[in-house]
Amino acid sequence: MVVTFGYKQRNSLVETFDPRARWIFSILSLFTIVNFWDIRFLLYFLLISVVQYSFTRLTWKETKRAWRFIFFLMFIMIFVNTIVTSAGTISDVTANPHVLFAIEKPIRFTMTIERLWFALTQVVRVLSITMLFIVVPFTMDPRQYGITFKGMGLGDKLAFTMDLAFRFVPTLARDFGTTMDAQKARGYELDNLKGNIFKKIARMAPIMIPVTMNSLLSGEDMVNAMDLRGFSTSGKRTWLYTLKYRKRDIALIAYSVVVLIISIILPRVFHIGGFWVPPFLIP
Amino acid sequence: MTDAQPLVVRDLSFQYTRRDTPAIQSLNFTLNPGEILLLAGSSGCGKTTLIRCINGLIPHAYSGTLQGVIEIFGKSIQEMCLAEISNEIGTVLQDPDRQIVGSFVLNEVAFGLENLGLPREEIFQRVNDVMDYLNIGFLKDRETFQLSGGEKQKVALAGVLAMRPRILLLDEPLASLDPASAREALSIFRKLADDGISIILVEHRVEDVLAIHPEQVLYLEDGKQVYYGDAPGLLECVDYSQIKLPATIVMERSRGTPMEPFTSSLQGKDGEALVEFEDVHFRYKEDLPEVLTGVNCTIHKGDIIAILGHNGAGKTTLVKHALGLLKPTSGTVRLQGADTRKSSIAQNAHTIGYVFQSPTQMLFAQTVRSELAFGPENLGHPKEQVAQDTEWAIKTVHLEEEMDMPPLALSFGQQKRVSIAAILAMRSRILMMDEPTAGQDYWNYMAFMDSILQMPGFDSILFITHDVDLAVVYANRILLVDKGKIIADGKPHEVLAEEERLNQARILPTSLLKLNLEKLPLTGRFMRAEALAQFA
Repeated sequence: MVVTFGYKQRNSLVETFDPRARWIFSILSLFTIVNFWDIRFLLYFLLISVVQYSFTRLTWKETKRAWRFIFFLMFIMIFVNTIVTSAGTISDVTANPHVLFAIEKPIRFTMTIERLWFALTQVVRVLSITMLFIVVPFTMDPRQYGITFKGMGLGDKLAFTMDLAFRFVPTLARDFGTTMDAQKARGYELDNLKGNIFKKIARMAPIMIPVTMNSLLSGEDMVNAMDLRGFSTSGKRTWLYTLKYRKRDIALIAYSVVVLIISIILPRVFHIGGFWVPPFLIP
Repeated sequence: MTDAQPLVVRDLSFQYTRRDTPAIQSLNFTLNPGEILLLAGSSGCGKTTLIRCINGLIPHAYSGTLQGVIEIFGKSIQEMCLAEISNEIGTVLQDPDRQIVGSFVLNEVAFGLENLGLPREEIFQRVNDVMDYLNIGFLKDRETFQLSGGEKQKVALAGVLAMRPRILLLDEPLASLDPASAREALSIFRKLADDGISIILVEHRVEDVLAIHPEQVLYLEDGKQVYYGDAPGLLECVDYSQIKLPATIVMERSRGTPMEPFTSSLQGKDGEALVEFEDVHFRYKEDLPEVLTGVNCTIHKGDIIAILGHNGAGKTTLVKHALGLLKPTSGTVRLQGADTRKSSIAQNAHTIGYVFQSPTQMLFAQTVRSELAFGPENLGHPKEQVAQDTEWAIKTVHLEEEMDMPPLALSFGQQKRVSIAAILAMRSRILMMDEPTAGQDYWNYMAFMDSILQMPGFDSILFITHDVDLAVVYANRILLVDKGKIIADGKPHEVLAEEERLNQARILPTSLLKLNLEKLPLTGRFMRAEALAQFA
């Protein structure tokens, strides 16, 4: 059975907005943020994300697992990909570097002011984006997933599929936990993975195969069950709930569109918003 | 509307594309308005295939060669698309978890009606009507994944009934229900039939279904129609070792050849304490209610314990504590004197073998042989011993011929037996099984329970079950669980004689229990119906 994220009604300000307006705001904000590498602009968007987050009434306890996962990904992305190697940086960072320090042994490594500043910029950028989206599963009523996607222009079937797909994530997490327990009961210990990467992957098979197979089999059964209740009919579907935009929703969408347009024009026409390092840091 | 019969099946055969033999052969039967047809037979006899032929999943979702005629209200099913069929026929699948798609009960019940494109007002009206009919209106705003097994089954049924089908196909609807929930479900089915719906009810629990007087019975063996007629006729002709019949009938029929009472290799004599629960409380999350509300009990060497209780009583949660899969919120669980908080699950697995409820959550290997070797190898058993134990384990569950097959290619019943064998091969001192008979046919589960309980090497065996007769036949101690507490703990003839306690735990006395209680002054212990024949 598909389960839902840990949603509960909180009577927060964020929940008073139409879910379509919230999605449009989040998606357009994402496209806006990726237009900037200037930390001054990014700090503005981080502020907007923080304001939204603070209006959700979410507690640390509820979200800490999700944040831990995000921090882990950020660490990989920023520390490894930006600081240790420069593979994840942009050309502005490597074009005219100012060396902060350099070592020859045990490996040759040079740290530049630009690379360090880029890492900080990345942190702000990624945090702005993740903070926008992390609130969605906790603050959006799962009953409205389908109608929200339908209301954003998707067809009936695709909208319901999106609804199911959204609920697939927590379902997978639950199945993973159950299989993990079942294999632990057979003396299996994930912590003791030994050998090279291939051996480690092979040792994950007792977890990954049952979880994958269970998902496939449940998926097949679910498709059959849906077809037996007329899901494959070609006629028009009725959605149980209806959504209605209010003034505040229109205002939110208008704001998102305007900011996106500005974010497209600024870097391309006025060359503003590109990678920026504070001048006082440059020797 | 037409006066034609709801369902006519003539000379029906079907063979799946990748199989060498037909799944069903030359089936003939009819179904009249308001009739219940009980479809019985052991695992793999073709029951599910027949259901798929009738509801249109064959050939729409499963390919193969279909021969013969199926007519729904006079119209050949071949002339109907799946949507048309689903307007006339509602199907409730065996596992409601795999049928329910809505996140909340209201959405789930309305799902089919939304697909039909009915006006919103009519959807709400029909949803309210069907929920009132099934007395589940109070569940409307609940999340579906938080429902108990019985509630899920009713919600799945409501979702189908809301579409107002004239034929209902129920595929083992009692499989995951406690006895009281099963009885409620059965009385709903009878009421539906009396209101004019034609029902095909696939069920292993034949004895339970007979209580609602099905008008017809179709009994299949290896895809062939062995019996088609009324219920009393089935009781006369069918092999009582294959399907569970009322105890009085079995006792009567085995009078000439009574069986010796079953004796286990384990004898409960207050041996050494293996697992101790001391005022154990547990809740899954801080903001959720307690699931265990103060459990005190000790599992001793020699115990064969059956844990009985309703859906959601806390049985599985209790057993998971013994292995350390869950740690108490307060209180202590000790495994052989050691606090389970201080040891890893893998360490505890040396002592406790725990068979999970669903086999699909653990099977992964390329062959049954390597699946069985996985546990003992993790525990560091020597190679020769692993080979020996896997052979013994597979024989115990009667799957020797499947040893080199991929476990995931086996039927659900066979997978369940592989999952049991995988734990048996670990040679743990304590064996714990969660619903070991779920999805199994009667002959198979009785056979492997006999083998397991007669096998030396276990210090204690514990099983969770909804099957009261399993407890009657095999247990030497019963734990009754209700609302996270043990409300009765004692010998079977003591615990199961207290009707008030049984009602509290939603347990219903079966014909075998009643017969055993009646004969107790003569027998001195509980036994199966075939053995009671010598006291008849």
